[in-house]
This record gives sequence, structure tokens and C-alpha cells, in this order.
Amino acid sequence: MKLVKLAISLLITTSLIYFLNNSWNFGSPIPPLGKFLDPFHGFWKNAQTAAVDSETISIPGLKDKVTIYYDSVLVPHIYATNDEDLYAAQGYITAKNRLWQMEFQTHAAGGRISEVVGKAALDFDRTQRRLGMGYAAETSVKSMEANPIAKAMVDNYTKGVNAYIQSLSYSELPIEYKLLGYAPEPWTNLKSGLLLKYMAKTLNTGERDLEMTNALKLFGKETIDLLFPDQEGVGDPIVDNTGNWKFKPTTLDSVPPSVPNEFVNIKPLEKSPPDIGSNNWAVSGTKTKSGAPILCNDPHLELNLPSIWYVVHMNAPGVNVMGASLPGSPAIISGFNDSIAWGVTNAQRDLVDWFKIEFKDKSKNEYLSDGQWKPTRKVIETINVKGAPVYYDTVVYTHHGPVVFDQSFHGENEKNHFAHRWIAHDPSEEVLTFHKMNRATNHTGYMDALDHYTSPAQNFVFACVNGDIAMRIQGKYPVRRKNEGKFILDGTKTSNDWQAFIPNDQNVMYKNPSRGFVSSANQYPADASYPYYIQASNWEAYRNRRINTVLTQLNQITPTDLMNLQLDNFNLKASESLPIFLSYLDSTSLKGAALEAYNKLKQWDYFNTIESEGAAYYEAWIRSLTPLVWDEFDDPKTALPRPSTFLTIKLMKEKPELDFFDVKATPEKETAKEIIQKSFVEGVAAIEKWKAENKKDLTWAAYKGAVANHLLRQKAFSYNIEHGGNSSIVNAHSKTHGPSWRMVVSLEKSGINAWGVYPGGQSGNPGSPYYNNLLQLWTKGKYVKFTFVSEAEKMKGKEIATITLNPASK
Amino acid sequence: MKLAYQFMATIVVCFLLELFLPWWSLAIGACAVAYFIGNKGFVSFLVGFIAVAVLWVGMALYIDQSTHSILTEKVNRLLPLNSFLLMGLIGGLVGGFGALTGALAKAK
Repeated sequence: MKLVKLAISLLITTSLIYFLNNSWNFGSPIPPLGKFLDPFHGFWKNAQTAAVDSETISIPGLKDKVTIYYDSVLVPHIYATNDEDLYAAQGYITAKNRLWQMEFQTHAAGGRISEVVGKAALDFDRTQRRLGMGYAAETSVKSMEANPIAKAMVDNYTKGVNAYIQSLSYSELPIEYKLLGYAPEPWTNLKSGLLLKYMAKTLNTGERDLEMTNALKLFGKETIDLLFPDQEGVGDPIVDNTGNWKFKPTTLDSVPPSVPNEFVNIKPLEKSPPDIGSNNWAVSGTKTKSGAPILCNDPHLELNLPSIWYVVHMNAPGVNVMGASLPGSPAIISGFNDSIAWGVTNAQRDLVDWFKIEFKDKSKNEYLSDGQWKPTRKVIETINVKGAPVYYDTVVYTHHGPVVFDQSFHGENEKNHFAHRWIAHDPSEEVLTFHKMNRATNHTGYMDALDHYTSPAQNFVFACVNGDIAMRIQGKYPVRRKNEGKFILDGTKTSNDWQAFIPNDQNVMYKNPSRGFVSSANQYPADASYPYYIQASNWEAYRNRRINTVLTQLNQITPTDLMNLQLDNFNLKASESLPIFLSYLDSTSLKGAALEAYNKLKQWDYFNTIESEGAAYYEAWIRSLTPLVWDEFDDPKTALPRPSTFLTIKLMKEKPELDFFDVKATPEKETAKEIIQKSFVEGVAAIEKWKAENKKDLTWAAYKGAVANHLLRQKAFSYNIEHGGNSSIVNAHSKTHGPSWRMVVSLEKSGINAWGVYPGGQSGNPGSPYYNNLLQLWTKGKYVKFTFVSEAEKMKGKEIATITLNPASK
Repeated sequence: MKLAYQFMATIVVCFLLELFLPWWSLAIGACAVAYFIGNKGFVSFLVGFIAVAVLWVGMALYIDQSTHSILTEKVNRLLPLNSFLLMGLIGGLVGGFGALTGALAKAK
């Protein structure tokens, strides 16, 4: 009996330990509670104060000693004696602060989230695999490893990350690993490749070829040309070099676009929202108070925690560079050195096409190409799913690229097979661009660096201490025939394939324009005399005009003036549309909430400040208006594109009787006027509903309800943000997207002065005061003045801690 | 008196074990103490439960104080129960059953 009791007690104890040592899912996921709550090793060990310990670590394979000083906002200042150690140290220190994020983002890139969170992520993972993210990353790693400099960059970065991973015990793991019950695996060069492709996907997937194909079939060419013009004819192009494109362009025989006959009834992939964009500009010394050029950059991305950016200062013989890096990739992406500064915005250009494939039979072993059956290549993707069996997905590759849709994935039948042609599948060596840019000393160096850059296409702004400013829209662009790339292409004829690429020296670029500044905000890139056909799903219509207006007016410019421009909340869209909208309302007949809304809108100064009520009413109105206008484009079965807001407003002014303004669901015939009146009523109702639900005063920031979400959408690690601006405004902060990095660099001959901030913090640990300290500054519109000294000795006294890396003795 | 001995010894032994071993070493500590200086079955369970709960919650309170509750509030939003309560319960159960096993092994 006693033995039985003992056995039972022992069994309970061991079962209890087993249960509490593992994660479970009973409807909602449960962390390994015993392990997680243990104050000796669990989450408590992730709780930190602002004090940071100095450390000395040995790293195998390091050539020499590296010293890293943390400054007061935890920016690491790395001083190495050679480039290899510099990249190893960057890998080490980035991993020390951002390891979980680095691995999670590369898991996301490669379609491996299911193994961390379970079945809910399976469709996401399959999408990544079927778009060929792994294929793209492998191709790019092959080209990186073929170049000795690029190879040294990624090899040493990987070495540094792995040195950190190997030093970790359970109690030092980032909290997310403890919460989800898994552990980091070794870093590889492929992961750096995946991360860069993840950026490329974010910036290239606004395309809507499938939707446009349906729209063309439904509405005809005339309507498509009216609603989706190649350019909306608004504002200045990024580069106006009229009459000076002095080269002989590559030309191609025109091919009539061959659009499939039936509607494409597939569920389109999730798109990058149009609020992904960016601003950058550089003003010449002739317009600044100091006489030195000033360069600014703010890329607009989804605002997540840990932030997409990590600020680093990297110093070694021949290089002294600082700025924003992407955790997971070596070098600095947007930054400055002793001589130059550069920054990036997305070039928008269409670099994704879909080719309709005809397979010989169900086996999909062969496909038709120029009258012949060509063999396909099949890749079996193995997706591990937490708490479920392994999922195998077969992806068929053609010479165009992977076939994304079939009956098992987003397609309703086996008729629609589309291969995905994407520039990011091509060999590329972007890291080399950044290695060279980080070391460039003048315009020639900047141009040389960009010659290695393929994708995702970016508007690279440049300024130099010697006074030069420049803009170059760099990427690898297929030479397009008119309308090519807007719709699905016939994949059975190679004449429809991308035939040639625009040579690098024929890309859109210029230097030192007479207006005294260069700028880009995702608008149309070139003047009408540029000889190549250019096409994109979305050109920005408002931010670019506001920026150029302000820059034209300003003289004796100071860095503060340009910070104010980055934070500018002027709503150009509202200023161009609201007076007309209001003129259609009969104010004498309004009462109650409608009258209050009318008065608030009438008094509004068009600035989307935190406190503004008018901004909230306007936004609610616009949100009600566009679905009413484009009700013809709401089809539950057939995916269709939506015309831009700029074009909607333009048509309301110029063609108020257009058929599209008639709401199909109502018997009477509406024009722009009735749409405006109806949407006003709906907008006011939406605001009243919001007031009732939220029980607080209406302000723009409260109505916007912006958040910086933790990458796991874990509310406890996320923050609400009270900030002005909106998409289409220079301060492009919408509910979830916005300026992910604000940088201002004054390139004075006596030394660089630079400021920057991003909505997050240098530490990825939610238990660190450095997790959200920069978010608080960012929200208030403040900047950090960067410490940027070229000699390690001069950092002494400015540091809060020192990390010393030594070569490990053999 | 034996109660106090077992209580103190469990805290000290579990503390030392946790410096080198994972969290489940609590059970080993509580079991060993109960085996050598423990009380009878149910009393040992209670003493083991309370000792480990006190050790865990005490350590956590110390960390919470010295880090200005920076993570405690966030984790409390994640868990169905307050983290101190939950860890007292979990640590306590493991310590209690460990001690019970030790006491039963001795009585065998």
C-alpha cells in the first residue's frame, strides 16, 4: 500500500513537471508555465533596468580585438581594425539586441511561421513558398558567395550572430522563445538572403495584374484608360531632365497584349497596403543657412516592435559610417559617413508579372512554350506545423518562375495556372552596394555602389560634403512595351517574356539640378522625354507636391526646418477636395450631429494634428465615399482593383455625371453631388457610433487609433500611439504604417551633424527600458542627436557600457 | 521544530539547486529534504508547497522591485492569473508533490 502511494505521488510529480515544462494549446496557446514563470531562469530574467553591464567575450575566428561602446540610447559604436571583424561585430551586437526578431522575420520570409505558431500560419507559409521566397534567397546567396567582398560580409556577419547564439543559456533567451517554447537555431547566410527578399516582397507586391485583367474584361479598354491611367498628370516627376536623356534606348517589337478570356476567379494574395512608401530629399548648400547640403529620409513601413531598423555606428580603417541597418543583414541601409549621406524611397515600378501557363496534363510535368512541351521542375516544400502533421506542398516551376495558384491554393479550379515572374528571383548582390556606399567619399563612389544594385528598385537620394546632391532611381528594370505588365500575360509565347533590361547608365538620375534640391515621395519618376515606358500600380499624388512646394519656398534652411517638414501634417488632399464637398451640402437644412460636423469641417485648417476634430470628420467622410463611388468594383467572386483617391476626387470635379457615381443598389440616378451628400451622412453616423463606443472626446489621434504592434500581435508587448499625420500626408502616419525611421543629416565641412529617431528602441526585449524609449521620442516629434566620432578614444566618457570582443585562443 | 527545519532546508536546497539546474530541480530539492528531515506525508506536502512558493514569489518580488515592474505588468496581461499568484501555485504544487514523494519514500 505504501509503495502504491509512493508510486502515485511520484507519478503525479513527474506528470506535473512534464506538463509545466511544455507548451500546450487548449483553444488558446499556453506557454511552458513552470519554465516560463521560474524566477531563476524564466521570463523574470528578461526584466532589466537602464543600467547595462560591460562585458568581455571571446569569439572564435575573430582577427583582432573589437571594442563596442553603447551610448545613452543603446546605439552601439563599433571600432574594429578590419572589415571582417567589423561585420562579425555587427552580427554579434545586432543578435544580442534583436535575435528573436531576426530569426522570426527570416522564418516569415521563408514560410516557416507554422512551426512556431501552428496551423493558423499555414496559408501565409504556403504563400511565401509558392512565391519562391526560398528560391530567390538561394539565388541571391549564390551570387553573394561568388563575390569575395560580399562573401566576407555575410560570412562574418553570420559568424558574429552564431557566436552570440552559442553563448546563450535558457535564462538569457529572448522572452518570445520562452513564451512560445522554442529555441534559436544557427544563423546562416541564407537567412540574410531571406531577410533582403522579405523587404523586396514588401516593396514589390502592390501589383494587381489579376484584378486589372478582370477589370479590363468587365469594363473595356476605354474605362480602364480613364480609371487606371499610366500617370495621373499631377506634380513634378522625381527627375525632370527634359531633353537631356542623351542615350540610344533599347527598343523591342511591340506585341499585342494577350489577355485570358475568362475571369480569373482566384483569391488574390494579401497586398502591401498603399501606405507603404517613403520620403527623401536633399537640399543644396545654396538653400541652407550653413551653406552645407542637408539630406533627409523617412521610409514608411508597417510600424512593428521590435522595429524593422537598428541603428549602428561602424568604424574600421577606411570606413566610418552610421545609420539604420536591417537586423539580419550586414552594413547600413540608410545613413551617412564622414563625406556623404544617402537614403531610400520605394521606386514603385512594376517588377512583378503573371504568365498564364498551359500544362499538357494533370501531372504538370510539361507546359506549352512556343508550340513545344517543355519540362517543369517540381519542388516539394516541407512545412512543419506546430501541433499538427508535416504539410507537404508541391510547387511547379517554369522558366518564368513558380506557378503560385492551383486548385489546392486560392484557385477555384484547375484552369487558372499563373507563373510568377519577379525581379527578386534574379541573381543580385545588394549587400555589395551597401558595403561600397558605406565607404563612398563622393558622387563617383555613390554611382559605383549603385551599379551593383538590382532589387527592390529604390530612389536613392545623395548629398556630399563637397556640395553635390543627386537622385538615382536604381534597380533592374525590364524594357517594357506599352501596357505590358498591367495585365496577365500569355505564358505560352516567349515573345511575351521580359526581353531586355534597361542598362544601368540609362536609368532615371540627375545631379545638382538648378532648383537647388532633389526629392522623391513615390511619385512618377521621370519627365515625358524619358524614352522608356514606365508603369506601376500606384503613384503617390500628394506628399511629393507638398514637399516640393515647401522646399521651393524655403531658403536659409536649417536642420530644424527639415525636421518640421518630416513632421508636416498638412492634408493637401483635404485642402483640394473639402471645399468642393462642403459646397454640395445644404448647410441650412443640417441639424444636430450633422451641423456640428459641418461646422467643424468648415473651421478646419487642413492640418491632421493630434487634437484635430476636422481631420477625423474628413477621414470618416472619405472612408464612406470611396466604397459608394466604386460599388461596381465590389464583387465577392471576382477580384477587382480600386481607382486611386486622387483620381476619384478628380473625376468628381471634372465628370460629376460619370456613370460610376450612380449607386447600383438604388433605383434613382446619383451623380457626384448625391454621392457626396450620402457619404457625408454615413461619415457623420460613423463618427457618432465611434463616440458612443469609445466614450471619449473626438480627436484625430484617438479616431485613428494607431498602434505599434509586437510582431506576434501580442497586445501586452504593443503600444498605442497618439500621433498626427496620415497616409498621403508628409508625416505619413496611419493606423499601422508610417515613418519607420526619420533621419536628418547636415553635411558640414567641419563635421557631420546628424539626427534620427524611429518608433521603437534599440533593444528588442519588452523587458528593457530601451524597448520603447525611441518610440516615445518619435511620438512627440523629437530626434536624437547622434554621437558620431571617428576615434575610439573620443568615445570614452560618452558610453554607458563597453562590450569587448577578443579573438578566442585556439 | 521539525516543521521549521524542513521549511528552511527546502528553501536553501532548492535555491542552491536552481543556481545550477533547471526549474524542475525544485522537486528534487523538496523531495530530498522531506526524505531526510521531513514530516509525515500531508504535513510534508504543505511545508514543501509553502517553502517553494515562498522561494519563488520572494525571488520574483525582488526582481520586480529592482526592475520597477517593467515586465511584470506586461506578463500579467498575458496570463490568465496574476503572475505572482500563478507562480506561487505552480511552484508550490511541484514543491509539495516533491516533498510528499520524499516523505512517502521514507515511510516505506
